[in-house]
Amino acid sequence: MEPAVQQTFNEGNLRANAAYRAARRQVIVDPITRLEGHGKIDIYLDERGDVERAYLQVPELRGFEVFCLGRPAEDMPQITSRICGVCPTAHHMAATKCLDDLYQVEPTPAGRKIRELVYNTFVLEDHALHFYVLGGPDFIVGPEAPPAERNIVGVIARVGLEAGKRVITTRKRLRELIAYFGGKVVHPVLGLPGGVSKALDPADLPGFKELARDAVAFAEWTLQIFRDVILKNPDYVELITADTYTHRTCYMGQVDEQNRLNFYDGKLRVVDCNGNEVCKFTAREYRDHVAEHVEPWSYMKFTFLKPRGWQGFVEGPDTSLYGVGPLARLNAADGLATPRAQAAYEEFYRTLGGKPVHHTLANHWARVIEMVYAAERMAQLLDDPEITSPDVRRVPTATPREGMGVVEAPRGTLFHHYQTDERGLITMANMVVATGNNAARIAMSVERAAKALIRGVQDAAQIPEGLLNKVEMAFRAYDPCLGCATHTLPGHTPLRVRIFGADRRLLTEQVQG
Amino acid sequence: MNRAAPDKPDTVSSSPPADAAVPPRPVLLLGLGNDILTDDAIGLEVARALRGELARDPRIEVRETTEMGLALLDFLVGRRAVLLVDAIQTGTVPPGTLLEPDPADWEARGGGNPHLLGVAATLALGRRCGLPMPEWVKILAIEIADPFTLGTALTPALRAALPAAVARARRLLAGLADSP
Repeated sequence: MEPAVQQTFNEGNLRANAAYRAARRQVIVDPITRLEGHGKIDIYLDERGDVERAYLQVPELRGFEVFCLGRPAEDMPQITSRICGVCPTAHHMAATKCLDDLYQVEPTPAGRKIRELVYNTFVLEDHALHFYVLGGPDFIVGPEAPPAERNIVGVIARVGLEAGKRVITTRKRLRELIAYFGGKVVHPVLGLPGGVSKALDPADLPGFKELARDAVAFAEWTLQIFRDVILKNPDYVELITADTYTHRTCYMGQVDEQNRLNFYDGKLRVVDCNGNEVCKFTAREYRDHVAEHVEPWSYMKFTFLKPRGWQGFVEGPDTSLYGVGPLARLNAADGLATPRAQAAYEEFYRTLGGKPVHHTLANHWARVIEMVYAAERMAQLLDDPEITSPDVRRVPTATPREGMGVVEAPRGTLFHHYQTDERGLITMANMVVATGNNAARIAMSVERAAKALIRGVQDAAQIPEGLLNKVEMAFRAYDPCLGCATHTLPGHTPLRVRIFGADRRLLTEQVQG
Repeated sequence: MNRAAPDKPDTVSSSPPADAAVPPRPVLLLGLGNDILTDDAIGLEVARALRGELARDPRIEVRETTEMGLALLDFLVGRRAVLLVDAIQTGTVPPGTLLEPDPADWEARGGGNPHLLGVAATLALGRRCGLPMPEWVKILAIEIADPFTLGTALTPALRAALPAAVARARRLLAGLADSP
């Protein structure tokens, strides 16, 4: 980093720390440790040993706009997909849709369908990874199991070797479909303004149809594991529905014309905590509905519903805070467009007491239901005769100026917004990422969990590892992709949890992988 | 920090070997990182520096990837030994410091470098599922200064450390290639 930039950065840090100290007496956030490649939860206890406040802090990506300035807009799907090793296809697709808008070109039907096919394949793979590797082990292996067992190997020990083999094989085949169209999974070269770069050869269709059939079976099998291992365990159901993990906020998700969930395209619909529609808008209108708020103690930008104004971290019918991601999408939609997923959706609300569901940990269940939808949607699209049309791109002719694009990333709504000069060179680039959209709810969830779980603590011996893991579970359910950048495994942000006593001395510290 | 030069980032090869029918070379150097996040590219830079000189060694293959976690399985399967080269940010040693964490210890401590987290679990998963996993996995991790700013150039400390990192990787690779 250049010295001048470093200095500006440090000054910002100092100001943030000063504001923080003023607000929270005696608490010093060490600026050196603030930017390690970790998310960080700092928990401050009062004299009784209860939680006074809990802060989630995360590293943020810097310099995105500067990096993009002057680059051809057509490079954005490649550049933005490189930002994140976790959601490359989500960024690629949001950027591609942004280019459609920028060049005022509607993709051909086949181009659009191929994009949606690839996109659902990506969502299915990503969700499966989260369920089996990242978030699921909390339940399948147990929230209080030793960290060394709370992983995919522990999952296999519980549900059988078959799970491991199926995850590996299915993931490989799903990625082959993405690579067929995009060349590379991590840096796909699929999307072009007005369509895609490659058509589906009819000779290859049977193989992909077989994959989609197997994918539906895999997703349904996963749903059954969820039922058998998690829903049949009363302790887990109690955990999922506990007040500790519950917030009454608004929810945002993309829907089609019948208000059914769609990952790739549609309008964004927001419902309030009672399930009433608050607004419905296109990507073009996102700035009328979404604004960002900053807090002195975090690098995160907290988005909120602009017409309602920032009201702080509050819940209830008038809150301006909203959630995104699997649970939010199910809450914001009236249903799912495929039969098996629709049945699972109805079972979900029947079991959890109607819409909307406010339990953060229900995200895990919602994610598995979305796996079923994504797999069925793949099959639907592959059954569409237009999917093999060679007419996959409409070449744009308009002069570019401004474009906005949105998709539902696995973790939630993702906005891209670019402006260019008349040659199509970027003059402004902005992203609002899923974890930003979820930031306020995540912060509330972490604090709520900390307050509920940590009580009357006077020394470190009273804080078993499993307890802190239960605080982290509030965070992990969102599958957060912090920094939207480096130092994140798929949804697997290393997290440092520190607990400070009433005298502000460190009681204990744990680092989770 | 990099200004907005409208150059394209270098190309990264991130797909597994294209031709699965050809058995992979037994020893793999795998550079990990992100080539547009400043120092996060150090693992890729080490791989690039060694690719040319090792191209003719029939025992060693040099690859780069921006992928993480379970995706590493695609690279590890079928190798006898693997050297992973990656960025790390412990905050406890100066940028440019070379570290050689043991994958198992690493995960037991649960800290540091998320690209590498999951290496032991990935190995265990592969073995459990009957896949041919490497007997030896070494990690060369280089302490970095800035992985959060978008840019295609290393910070000065990391640029200065690159030759030493390359030399260390060369030595570790030779050890892996010569081991029985």
